[in-house]
Amino acid sequence: MPSSISPSKARRHEIHGTHEGALPPGLRKTASDRPGQAQPVPTRDIPAQPWAKMGIAVFLAVALMVSLWEYQARTAIGLRPGDIGDSPQAWAEARRAADHATVAIIGDSRILFDTDQQRFQALTGVRPVQVSHVGTNARMLLDGFADDPNFRGLLIVGLADTMYFGMPVMGLGQTAVDNYSKNGKPSQLSGLWLDRQLQRFLAFMDNEYRLSRMVNEVDTGWRKGVDSPYEDVWKISVTYPGRQYVMWDRIETDPYLRAHARHAWDGFKGKPIPPPLANAVIARSAEAIRRIRARGGDVIFVRPPSAPPIRVNEEQRIAKARGWDALLVGTRAAGIHADDLAQAQKLNLPEWSHLSGKCATVFTDAYVRRLVQLSPRLHLRADAPPPLTRADCVSL
Amino acid sequence: MIFNSLTFIVFFAVVLAMHNAPFSWHQKKINLMIASYLFYAAWNPPFVILLWVSTVVDWWAAQWMVRAKREHTRRVWMLISVVVNLGMLGYFKYGGFLMDNFVSVASSIGIVYQPPKWDIILPVGISFYTFATLSYTLDVYLRRSAPAGSFLNYALFVTFFPHLVAGPIMRPTELVPQFETPRRAHSNQIFFGLALLTLGMFQKVVLADGFLGPVVESVYDAHGSVPGMLDSWVATLAFAGQIFCDFAGYSTSAIGVALCLGFAMPDNFRFPYGAVGFSDFWRRWHITLSSWLRDYLYIPLGGNKHGPARTYAALMGTMLLGGLWHGANWTFVVWGGLHGLYLSVERWLKTRFKGFTPGRVTLLALAALTFVLVNVTWVFFRAKTFGGAALVLKGMSGLAVKPEPLIPAGPMIIALAIVGAIFGTHVAMRNTTLEAVLERTPALVLGSAWAVLLFAVIIEQGQGNAFIYFAF
Repeated sequence: MPSSISPSKARRHEIHGTHEGALPPGLRKTASDRPGQAQPVPTRDIPAQPWAKMGIAVFLAVALMVSLWEYQARTAIGLRPGDIGDSPQAWAEARRAADHATVAIIGDSRILFDTDQQRFQALTGVRPVQVSHVGTNARMLLDGFADDPNFRGLLIVGLADTMYFGMPVMGLGQTAVDNYSKNGKPSQLSGLWLDRQLQRFLAFMDNEYRLSRMVNEVDTGWRKGVDSPYEDVWKISVTYPGRQYVMWDRIETDPYLRAHARHAWDGFKGKPIPPPLANAVIARSAEAIRRIRARGGDVIFVRPPSAPPIRVNEEQRIAKARGWDALLVGTRAAGIHADDLAQAQKLNLPEWSHLSGKCATVFTDAYVRRLVQLSPRLHLRADAPPPLTRADCVSL
Repeated sequence: MIFNSLTFIVFFAVVLAMHNAPFSWHQKKINLMIASYLFYAAWNPPFVILLWVSTVVDWWAAQWMVRAKREHTRRVWMLISVVVNLGMLGYFKYGGFLMDNFVSVASSIGIVYQPPKWDIILPVGISFYTFATLSYTLDVYLRRSAPAGSFLNYALFVTFFPHLVAGPIMRPTELVPQFETPRRAHSNQIFFGLALLTLGMFQKVVLADGFLGPVVESVYDAHGSVPGMLDSWVATLAFAGQIFCDFAGYSTSAIGVALCLGFAMPDNFRFPYGAVGFSDFWRRWHITLSSWLRDYLYIPLGGNKHGPARTYAALMGTMLLGGLWHGANWTFVVWGGLHGLYLSVERWLKTRFKGFTPGRVTLLALAALTFVLVNVTWVFFRAKTFGGAALVLKGMSGLAVKPEPLIPAGPMIIALAIVGAIFGTHVAMRNTTLEAVLERTPALVLGSAWAVLLFAVIIEQGQGNAFIYFAF
């Protein structure tokens, strides 16, 4: 029996079968009303409404509302199409690519924001694979690469001292790492691809500005003693293909958002990291590096800059001599500290922890020029662009 | 593949176009079956083999059951079907659980056993399609229905993608006959189906994932923190809303998707939080599972035909196994056990106060009491350990020592408003259907509401989290 039916206002319509009796008007029987028997083909009512007309009207209305929302997202919020965002699936994609990469970068958000992959490639001819993850302990990621028999390239380990030495867990990257092996399923790959295609054209598709996030962020600390949404990190970055993070320009231009971001970092305050813990971290790092080198790979540490209000707290928790310097000695690995790069001094860190987009290019330029001196695996291209200075943070 | 993903939108558009293209009905059914296998394989391709095994074994078991001349042979074929289906379910879903418990029991009597690491992935939907195919052979065995006349129709029943991974758990007699004749949805059915899909996605993406999930997590996943009375209750109420919106959202979407293709699927929820008493609750919550357990477990265990003691034992047994069906964890067994206890107490009270007829206020009070007691059971459903459940229950009863606030005020207010609205709606609509209410609503109001829900789904942009019930 064909299921097509014609609408009528006189009677509710059913896709199949007829209503059975013994229930109040408006109700239909379900399996719970028919114990111990084979269940018949279900009844499915179609309410007498002009569904087709209504559907077309809804489609047009939603198209209009989404267009207005997109306009609002671009003009009032400052979101941009092409900001494709990040996800555990995107991280897994990068992690898979890193297996056979010449250069891979791991670390937390500082090396993620502060490395301009295009500049890296312009200087060396090699585009690094960005495997860093925000809020994540680089040491745990280093362990992962040490366990990976495929990786034989150069691993750049970006670190924020207090996270690398003081954080006993992986942090926000844990979910991505845990789901790494599960994140290559056909539905996930197709979903990632479709998502990126849409985000190239639609600015409002930003995880940080979805409905529930915006609504919850209205609460700026109404209940005492509990971390409100104001304590969380809000949008601070724009992400381009290749997991190229760049600081969102509104952090540089909007005092409220900038102040909030600074508040969220809480100055990187905390208790001093005890020497036994720091020594254990160094020993474990040395072992991981030994295993990578045994396969033909190598590791170089990079310490991006942090602004004085944060740096003072970082030094109190683990001083450079006790952390960074001891790490290089203990692991016998090369390292590049922002303090030691003349061209990378007094760069602009709007929210104190990450460089502005343009300054990130300057910092990348400075650390890659040092990198090629430390690693025989990379060479400065003959047609490499001239060095950048702090002044270029404005003019780039 | 999940309904709230961009991949599904593209997939569904293609399926809908193919279903309305000028192919023969036979070809359309083959298209639907291929689409269903793609839908499943998009998650984990090798597990399609399990679907095939389940389909082929049950098809032949039913065929041989009908051809068998002796009762003994019929029973053997029924048992083969049960053993193969429950064997697969047991291996993939309960293997690790059984091994852990064996190790615990062994160590308690002094035997140290170090088992090999159990690293088996749970195939998505195995609990659902196992029960669906089992009902086929059991109905044939119980002579409730004849076997399907066509292998294609039966195989399509097993794999039909709208119900494949999270139900509603369909019986073959509900769906196989629908494949026997050509089906194509009228435009009203397609648009109403899309409206249902929108409603389901709104429940899942906006309410469950967007607003309620984080409130639940802030208490249930706050390791080391002690929640107080307010936080424990709000988080548990939020979970009541989240699990309903998640699962009813899936069921509503599945019904809408099937409707767009011209197929009818049964109701799986009937405003369960408006239930007065627990037998009423289970006639409204996850109807296709509760009726399955009633028909294939409770009644065979004796049901209510062999005296009160047997009835109570059958009730408890059914609910304990029903709890275990939800997951390989003792907390689910306790959840089921609590519901079994509630049902038993209610049954006893009904025999004790036979002539009692509640008025409207009493009914509302009883509905509220039912809702509160159901919330107590949700604690065991959501908490991953008994320690975690005890922490929340202590909070709910006001016995927490040095509790700390965990839920921010804004999300708390929103969660309470959503759950209050869900409870109020369920109480108000307990004696009607969504369709009856929609029919009475002016088209302008209905269209506006539909547009707002769809817009909310779009700007919430689901993160593609799987439905909670996928894990079961």
